[in-house]
Amino acid sequence: MKRLLAVFAACLACALAAAGPAWAAVERKVLRMSFRTAEAGFDPQRVFDRYSVGVCENLFEGLLTYDYLARPVRLVPLVAEAIPEPEEGGTRYTFRIRPGILFSDDLAFKGSRRELVARDFEYSIKRFRDPRYASPYEWLFEHKIVGLDELAAAAKKSGHLDYDARVAGLEIRDRYTISFKLSEPDFNFLYVLAMPNVVPVAREVIEAYGDDTMAHPVGTGPFVLKDWVRRSKIVLERNPNHRGYELDTRYADPADEWDRRAIDALRGKRLPLLDRVEIYPIEEEQPRFLAFVNHEHDILDETPFEFIDQVLPNGRLAPGLARQGVKVFREEQPEITYDVFNLEDPAVGGYDPQRVALRRAMVLAHDRDQEIGIVRKGQALPAQSPVPPGVVGFDSEFRAGQQDHDVARAKALLDMYGYADRDGDGWRERPDGKPLVIEYKYNAFSQSNRQLAELWVKSMAAIGIRINAGAVQFADLLNDKRVGKFQMAGSAWIADYPDAQNFLQLLYGPNTGQSNEARFRLPEFDRLYRKSQAVPDSPERNALYREMNRLLLAYAPWRLGVHRIFNHLQYPWVKGYKKHPILYTNFKYLDLDVAARQAAAK
Amino acid sequence: MTAYVIRRMWQMIPTLAGVILLIFFLFNWVGGDPAQVLAGKISNPEQIANIRRQLGVDQPYWYQLWVFVQQVFTFDFGRSWSTNEEVSRILLTRVGPTLTIMVPVLLIETVLAVVFAIMVAYVRGSLTDRAIMVICTTAMSISFLVYIIFGQWLFGFILGWFPVQGWSESFWRNLTNYAPLPIMLAIFVGLAPQLRLYRSFFLEEINQDYVRTARAKGLPEKRVMMKHVLRNAMIPILTNVGIYLPSVFVGSFLLEVFFSVPGLGREIVTAVNRSDFPVIKAVTVYLAVLTMVVNLLVDVMYKLVDPRVSFK
Repeated sequence: MKRLLAVFAACLACALAAAGPAWAAVERKVLRMSFRTAEAGFDPQRVFDRYSVGVCENLFEGLLTYDYLARPVRLVPLVAEAIPEPEEGGTRYTFRIRPGILFSDDLAFKGSRRELVARDFEYSIKRFRDPRYASPYEWLFEHKIVGLDELAAAAKKSGHLDYDARVAGLEIRDRYTISFKLSEPDFNFLYVLAMPNVVPVAREVIEAYGDDTMAHPVGTGPFVLKDWVRRSKIVLERNPNHRGYELDTRYADPADEWDRRAIDALRGKRLPLLDRVEIYPIEEEQPRFLAFVNHEHDILDETPFEFIDQVLPNGRLAPGLARQGVKVFREEQPEITYDVFNLEDPAVGGYDPQRVALRRAMVLAHDRDQEIGIVRKGQALPAQSPVPPGVVGFDSEFRAGQQDHDVARAKALLDMYGYADRDGDGWRERPDGKPLVIEYKYNAFSQSNRQLAELWVKSMAAIGIRINAGAVQFADLLNDKRVGKFQMAGSAWIADYPDAQNFLQLLYGPNTGQSNEARFRLPEFDRLYRKSQAVPDSPERNALYREMNRLLLAYAPWRLGVHRIFNHLQYPWVKGYKKHPILYTNFKYLDLDVAARQAAAK
Repeated sequence: MTAYVIRRMWQMIPTLAGVILLIFFLFNWVGGDPAQVLAGKISNPEQIANIRRQLGVDQPYWYQLWVFVQQVFTFDFGRSWSTNEEVSRILLTRVGPTLTIMVPVLLIETVLAVVFAIMVAYVRGSLTDRAIMVICTTAMSISFLVYIIFGQWLFGFILGWFPVQGWSESFWRNLTNYAPLPIMLAIFVGLAPQLRLYRSFFLEEINQDYVRTARAKGLPEKRVMMKHVLRNAMIPILTNVGIYLPSVFVGSFLLEVFFSVPGLGREIVTAVNRSDFPVIKAVTVYLAVLTMVVNLLVDVMYKLVDPRVSFK
């Protein structure tokens, strides 16, 4: 009997030992979700796709960030003690960093704890200009900080940036104080400093990992990269060195249901609350959707358009999902889609009335309702200006009547300016009698782009204009647009920071060959743009923006497209959810009710 | 046989040279400029030129070709242009998941196709034979994508037999949990054309004189089919498997994308989309070498299957 009891006790001990860790693992708060595109890596100065940057947001911390709940968005300090007032007419910004903020542990620190200091910001900003890294965000600090252009120019000659060289515009006043001196007034500079790429990295980490910095992100953020199977799985875990946050409820809207829920779930708690975040990049829409409805994931960011009718039939959450307590967060993204005309093209370009009339007629004949209803499944708003909602400078009253679908007006315009069918083949010729055939280029990789191109062909056929739509490789499309080797092409822009300037710079003359794909060079527009840059956010600046919008509509270098709407789904056990228009992720504000999830799984 | 193998290996060199030239010129002709993608949203010609310089695509073609040749013979293709990951590491880490799915597919599909093919060939002309051929033709007419989408929805979501997607670090868990559904779907798709093909191989053998002679000598039908017909039909079957074998290493892009399998197929398509030439070069060259080696092995195996085969 004794022997039997001993065997039983041993078995029980083994079972408990085996069950112990498993039980503990169940108790951990592990959030699982997908990304719709694969990441590239996590070196904040080198990545620009939103998914890589979204992960960086959790690993690194900049001087400033955005309040989680405030709408419209509001800057708040992150590692800075406060948001500084602009000095010297908007050309100087001085930050004091909170002492005691630690980087996550890493072998590069050789066993010692590494505190964040002002020099880390100086080093990281210099990295944007290092030719070795070819940072996609180099433009953020180009022609901006006093002395930095000269350092970058020297680096381009030698192929090596001297990180020890002193830059007058990056002044280190003491261990925790950095002062930025700008070459010109810039009232958007604080937004630049709030970008998830403008975050400090430790020099010793970068030097230790050489070419492998994408895989070794070491920051002061609330999470650390625990595991990474490229393009397959990204695992973040809570950073034990992190000091923790507290939810700021000052700017919350008490009438907003999402704010109320977040406050109820998070008030008084030390954030982050999640132990682990598992992200699975899933490019195909069906498995991404099924993984959510199958309870394999807790969140579905950006419900695929293909499944909108199943998720939101008639605009209401499907009963099956509603019964499970699924919540849908509808987000109008701060972005715009548009089609550009090449203003240097002899057929569609130019600023003379004839060619302006052609572009305006084409814009009027384009059926945007079909674009929204059929291609975008109703998940988009027609753009009235290049500035999307949620962005500082957005004018909700502004209406772009010149972009409304009006075939009769389009035909009248063409007739008036001599675009007529002279040879009787059903297609219009140019006023000089030459054939009018317009090439439209679009990215071959996207199915919806093909549908949009077909819509152009169909819409233009209705007014007698022939369009040849051609799919090209993404890299070639980018190149063609940059060098002006196109007549018309599809495009889109998502906010880097929430200010109208980030969108209106797409039409600024000197940006031709860079972001001004239309090669639009209108002296009046450029003058207004420059004037608006020297003015802080105010009714005066908004009036300048309005005037620029009018010029855009009058000369029609673009056909304004839409602002897309994304529907984000979460199960009821995900607490504290609210989607931010600028920040890509919200992991540090989320909580999980593990018991509720387990109950739902049964 | 040794002389034959050496001669065949010697012949691989010009073939490989042709492959290298073809990849190089095709990529430079139709492949997009990776610098355009890597430069980001706002970039100027100077930055693009800097990236091109770093990637080495601003060098004369002859120099780029010379670097490529060196890479082939040193097995060092450098780093991916889009992610900076070592190409060798990409290949090593991605081939495992691909093989976890594709090896069972190859084995099960071949065995099932041979067994079913010999069975329907045996009852050729019967209602069963005709019904199976109709089913095969129908199955072959449906796109692989439809199988995947429907299979994933039915078996993964509605019936809940398998997870709809995913992959883990554990080989055993992958094989028993994540791989079965993609394997099953790949077999569904691949079985029908193989069955039809192998059936025709068997029918061709069945109509040969030696089969008639064997039957005339009074050999039992089972022995005729399993010993004589099967052995002779194995040569074209082996050829077919040999053709199929290299693709096992590349996997199925569609399966890998839909089931989130971190395999080589998905990597190749991503590399093409990002104009990531080092990855494309490495995969294509290794695949070409693999194809040549497998062809040689298949030729050698002919001898094992049929001793009458002679190497010339």
